[in-house]
Amino acid sequence: MIRIVQARRVFGGAAAVDELSLDADEGEIVALLGPSGSGKSTILRMVAGLESLDGGEIRLDGELVSSVHATIPPEARRVGMVFQDFALFPHMNALGNVAFGLEALARAEREAAARAWLADVGLAARADAYPHELSGGEQQRVALARALAPRPRALLLDEPFSGLDPVLRAELRETTLAALRKTGTTALFVTHDAEEALYVADRIAILKRGKLVQAADPRTLYDRPVSVDAAAALGVVNTHAGVVAGACVASPFGAVTTELGEGTQAIAAVRAEAIGLKLGARALVRDKHPQGATDLVRVEAQGVVWRAIVPARAAPEIGASVDVVIDPAGAFVFSRE
Amino acid sequence: MSTASYTPPRHPLPPPPPSRGRSRAAAKRRPVARESGGALAFVVAAAATLVCAAPGLAVIGMAIGAKGEMDATAWKLLGDALLGTITLIALGGAAATVIGAGAAFLVSLCRFPGRGVFEWLLAAPLAAPAYVLAFGYSSLTWAGGPVPLPLTGIAGAAFVYALAFYPYAYLSTRAALATQSAGALEAARMLGAGPRRALIGVALPLARPGIAAGAALIAMEIAADFGAASHFGATTVTTGLFRAWYAHGEPAVALRLASVLLIAAFGLLFVERWMRGRARIAGGTWRAPPKVKLSAPAGLAAAMFCGLIIALAFAAPLGWLARLAATRPASDFDELGRQLLNSFMLAGIGAAATLLVSIAIAAAARASQAGRAALFAASAGYAAPGAAIALGALALFGAAREMGLVGGLSAGLAVFMLVWTYASRFAAAGAQPIEAGLLRITPSHTGAARLLGAGRMRRILAIDLPMAAPSAAAAALIVFVEILKELPATLILRPFDFDTLAVIAYSYASDERLAQSAAPALMVTAAGLVPILLFTRRIDTARPGTRMGGR
Repeated sequence: MIRIVQARRVFGGAAAVDELSLDADEGEIVALLGPSGSGKSTILRMVAGLESLDGGEIRLDGELVSSVHATIPPEARRVGMVFQDFALFPHMNALGNVAFGLEALARAEREAAARAWLADVGLAARADAYPHELSGGEQQRVALARALAPRPRALLLDEPFSGLDPVLRAELRETTLAALRKTGTTALFVTHDAEEALYVADRIAILKRGKLVQAADPRTLYDRPVSVDAAAALGVVNTHAGVVAGACVASPFGAVTTELGEGTQAIAAVRAEAIGLKLGARALVRDKHPQGATDLVRVEAQGVVWRAIVPARAAPEIGASVDVVIDPAGAFVFSRE
Repeated sequence: MSTASYTPPRHPLPPPPPSRGRSRAAAKRRPVARESGGALAFVVAAAATLVCAAPGLAVIGMAIGAKGEMDATAWKLLGDALLGTITLIALGGAAATVIGAGAAFLVSLCRFPGRGVFEWLLAAPLAAPAYVLAFGYSSLTWAGGPVPLPLTGIAGAAFVYALAFYPYAYLSTRAALATQSAGALEAARMLGAGPRRALIGVALPLARPGIAAGAALIAMEIAADFGAASHFGATTVTTGLFRAWYAHGEPAVALRLASVLLIAAFGLLFVERWMRGRARIAGGTWRAPPKVKLSAPAGLAAAMFCGLIIALAFAAPLGWLARLAATRPASDFDELGRQLLNSFMLAGIGAAATLLVSIAIAAAARASQAGRAALFAASAGYAAPGAAIALGALALFGAAREMGLVGGLSAGLAVFMLVWTYASRFAAAGAQPIEAGLLRITPSHTGAARLLGAGRMRRILAIDLPMAAPSAAAAALIVFVEILKELPATLILRPFDFDTLAVIAYSYASDERLAQSAAPALMVTAAGLVPILLFTRRIDTARPGTRMGGR
């Protein structure tokens, strides 16, 4: 298991990671979700031992591996990592790359183990190929096999699918997930793709500017975000700032109920997919973009534009007058005080 | 691969993790994750800088401190030398730039018969040192030659320089056109500009810094050349410093001429760097610009122009030298074997020593700012003419002898100074490819190796060295050939009676025994062809889009 306690890392006066605490239990897959610059890659590098700490500590299976005073070097940590650019050694073939971390084994065993790992990721036939002869997806699989081969205490994945096309992405997501589950490897997974995080992770940690916004399982995170940022991390969100009156915040599109005290300065956040449209008089359909199964519709009321994601074909025509129905399961109010 | 086929791992487990006690100890030994190497890099960089800069600094320092008045003869020599060099740069340099840039525009922007072959062949004359072309042309035109022309003096040297050095302008213009103008030219054409307007309004301004960088390199080469100028009897700064040193016995004058040469070379290096920086403004990748198909007569004229350049700069003089060499009796070649061996030995030792400095500089440049300074010092050494650097080494030796540090100029000491001169001159030529090779080793490669348990030694042996090896081999070859071709420094510093191919070709030629100089001159050129054949090929295949560009 990985335990990060109040970790802090400062670059040139600015905190890239700020007092961040996060755990990943044995065998758990935790996604770090956030935009670029949110500190998610720095966290991976700190767990890897490639980056030292300016505060806090990191433990692996209970062992203190990083603190302000000492950092166990990466080569002594038994942590695996799949890099964004895969970082395959170009002068070694696939087999050589996978065998690199198995130095401690005798030669014959080492080769057998590396071949078995290549077979596990479906590359038994490509053992002799050099990285430049492999496709992007094959390179990713070699990188995965190489990182898992020494049986690391934890696997770190730094946007491992970001350079691949969508079809390949989905396929490799499956391969990676299966390998992690079967080996029971604890994994930290960096991504800026909410859909990917929801699909892969047992738990998602949402990061913003080096701070943890919320960490929870995907269901909880989607249904009970703690802030606008947390809600917006998993999809399109419409917001409206106002004051709590009559146990709700009134937006131009309708009221959102809340348990916050009367008179509280608050902000309402409504998921685009929690908005239903039916013919009426409250708002005007500005435009409509097909997304396949759904349509993204822009509606305007009192000069304010909100986005709604509604089932395709059910969407009203552009220019139609509509009423807006807000599903309370996807509507939240957060205090601004 | 389907996930259903996934089977549980059946691999032997690696050894247990290091015990806690050991990990703690390891953590204490190394307080931070980043391994420190800054101090070492600084020391290495400082040492490499000293190796590269010392002879040049010695020349300038001793020229300032030198005793001995400049008499009328000295002033006249200085004046003549400056005038000669400036005239040669103005005539030969301008002609070389026009030929090179013109050829680059033709092969880059037009389609005509033989274009693909010419594009590649036009770089080939880079293999022949200017002095070899000079020997070739004098044997063609002087008494008994088939083309009786008064090719001598400044005019002869300018003619040879135009042909010997145009490839610098050709290559830098072609690179500027290929990295800058593909998109801009396509845009210009789609905005309705005809070929003429696209050429004058877009391609020419974009290529201008590339042309200027090439011109600066050509001027640097002309100022540094000794062999051709000396062979044609042209008085230049380089031949002048030889005359002051050997004929007049005026070391102070020679040192002053050498420092003039060095300062001019640094000025030109600065211009070249500046222009090369501007040529890279858009930092474009290599993409062949769109080409205009020439009409049949124009295409024929273009092909003839390119063919004529290659004939004049390569085929005619070298062909004639080959014919001369073929007329020699076989006994000539017995001697040649020994000189070949000498050349290879010297170039081998020189390349090994230079490569050490190159590797130190490239590694330090990767690690620290001090290393970048060392890289700059090395490129200043590369710009410095061999004659000036060799004089600096001799001056240092003289000073050391006055202080009683060394005795007479023994063969061993001479070779040491010669190797030092080579390292000072060619370290940059070696450091650049090695640096490019080291760039391939990204931080994630290092990180991946560390996370897979590789300590520093294993990383150096299993990752860094093998990944840098191909570029180090390329660097070694480039330096080896440069040393083989080098004439003035070898001529000044070689041990008594120790002849190399370049030296023997020059001595025969200056005795007007051109037929005997032909074979060694051709051998030097053949060696020069090796890296050109090897690397233009590799650069061509490494370039993105070449496979499609062949249509």
